[in-house]
Amino acid sequence: MYPFGKGAARIMPYLLLSIPVLLYLLLGFGPSMVTVLFSFTDATGVPGQTWNFIGFENYTTFFTSSDSGDRIASIGRSLYFAVAVVVIQNAVGLFMAILINKKLKGDVLYRSVFFLPVVLGVTVSGLIWQLLANPLGGPAQALLNFFGTSSNFFGDYDIAFELIIFVQIWMYMGYSMTIFLAGLQSIPSDLYEAGYMDGASGWKAFKNITFPMIAPSFTVNMLLSIIGALQTFDIIYVLTGGKFNTTTLAFDVYATAFGSGTSDYGLASAVAMIQFVFVFTVSMIALYYLRRREVEM
Amino acid sequence: MSSSKGTKIVSYTIVLLMLSLYVLPLFYLFNVSMKTQSEYLMDPVALAKGLRLENFMDAWDKGNFSQYMWNSILYTGVSTLLTLIISVFAAFPLARGYVKFSTFFYVFFLISMYLPNPLIPQFALINSLGLYNTQLGFILLKTTGTGIAFLMFVGYIKSVSRELDEAAAMDGCGYSRYLFTILVPLMKPVLATGIILTAIGAWNDIIGPTIYLSDPAYQPVTKGLFSFYGQYMNNWPLLACGILIVTLPLVILYIFLQRFIVGGAMAGAVKS
Repeated sequence: MYPFGKGAARIMPYLLLSIPVLLYLLLGFGPSMVTVLFSFTDATGVPGQTWNFIGFENYTTFFTSSDSGDRIASIGRSLYFAVAVVVIQNAVGLFMAILINKKLKGDVLYRSVFFLPVVLGVTVSGLIWQLLANPLGGPAQALLNFFGTSSNFFGDYDIAFELIIFVQIWMYMGYSMTIFLAGLQSIPSDLYEAGYMDGASGWKAFKNITFPMIAPSFTVNMLLSIIGALQTFDIIYVLTGGKFNTTTLAFDVYATAFGSGTSDYGLASAVAMIQFVFVFTVSMIALYYLRRREVEM
Repeated sequence: MSSSKGTKIVSYTIVLLMLSLYVLPLFYLFNVSMKTQSEYLMDPVALAKGLRLENFMDAWDKGNFSQYMWNSILYTGVSTLLTLIISVFAAFPLARGYVKFSTFFYVFFLISMYLPNPLIPQFALINSLGLYNTQLGFILLKTTGTGIAFLMFVGYIKSVSRELDEAAAMDGCGYSRYLFTILVPLMKPVLATGIILTAIGAWNDIIGPTIYLSDPAYQPVTKGLFSFYGQYMNNWPLLACGILIVTLPLVILYIFLQRFIVGGAMAGAVKS
């Protein structure tokens, strides 16, 4: 029950809550809903121009216009990005968390260093990798030269996107690892002792004790990285600007609305809606399976 | 877990290899920043021939970093403070159920993660309010009570005893006074992590300033650094200094606050 009095005193929590609610309605939820609306219009960013409802025309444009090959390719790339990032980032993060959790000396240092790129941010991390992958004699090029080959790296149509995936994983591996570490540290050690008595050690202990016990951190990590990966595009903006076959759905929304010379709000909103359906479906399927796994343990 | 000497050695080897993937790039960055342009062009990978701290002064002036730094501090400071305050406004009544439909509001805030991208109408709105290219408009956009701080606070407040509310109310303490004089001091650890994670997000934003702030006089340091990169694309020693200038305050802050950050990432592991 509300303890802070009756009558006028009852209004205070509503009054204070109304500030975040109004802000969210005005700047978050509201605009989100308008995106749905915009996707059925021919709205542009040109000042003073009126807009009309045009039904599903933006959606048909997405799939059938002359440049829709690129747009459809960006769907595939988003999926590729998400799968690669989710699988590798979490696998490496979990592996490193297990290693560090073995009471290695200097664990605080390792944790801090692996988390550092998150603190540095996309711009700094991106530029550091631009420097390392400088095609004109940078260390990555020197390494390739040693093996008798060379590359344009972020300017190379064949591998630019894979390199972006690498930088993304480099940036956020420490984040996943940190969450896994939290899960690992909450496992009571007598569980392992009991398991050891029953002959469970090594892989068996991992499969039957560790893995079920960290189910909640596993769920959090999976959802975070799925949603994050499908919505990320700042790393692409910093590393290639969407050139060299590196456009994803999320980047396409940005480029269609704010890219140089274009401000097609209607079409960009339709791309945003396609992205939304994508993110929502994938994360709901993931949530369903992850929750079931948590219950079964 | 019992682990033999052999597995220990293997563990250390793997961790150190991984560590070098994070430390060597930073070392290389520092090395390049200490070179002259011609030294760099002759052999980018070679070790620098000594400390050349004047490179930093040069980059600081050419990159106009004093202006950008100030903007970043303003945006990050104000929006983080406001975000924290209104996150408490939202988290407390929802965690306690002191307003009707608390669960509904909580879920309503939570789904902000899944909703269609609000970027375009947001921009149109800011534009039509006359807030495009203004510091106020950008701060407003960076201020939200539904982000990671809110989610962490709800979890934390649930662990604060409800009897404390009742005891304070019994002594005649009002709702808002309770929030600021009793609850907020109790929330210190989670506030610290909330501040840091919110501030990291605000400081590092690059897309926001790109869309909303075209005037260099209003841009934060991320955008400033990126423009600097576009301008001096071939002068990597100068660029490396610029990157380090932007990196240094964050690294120093991180060294001091690292235990809060890592702890906070765990507690607030809901949104990246």
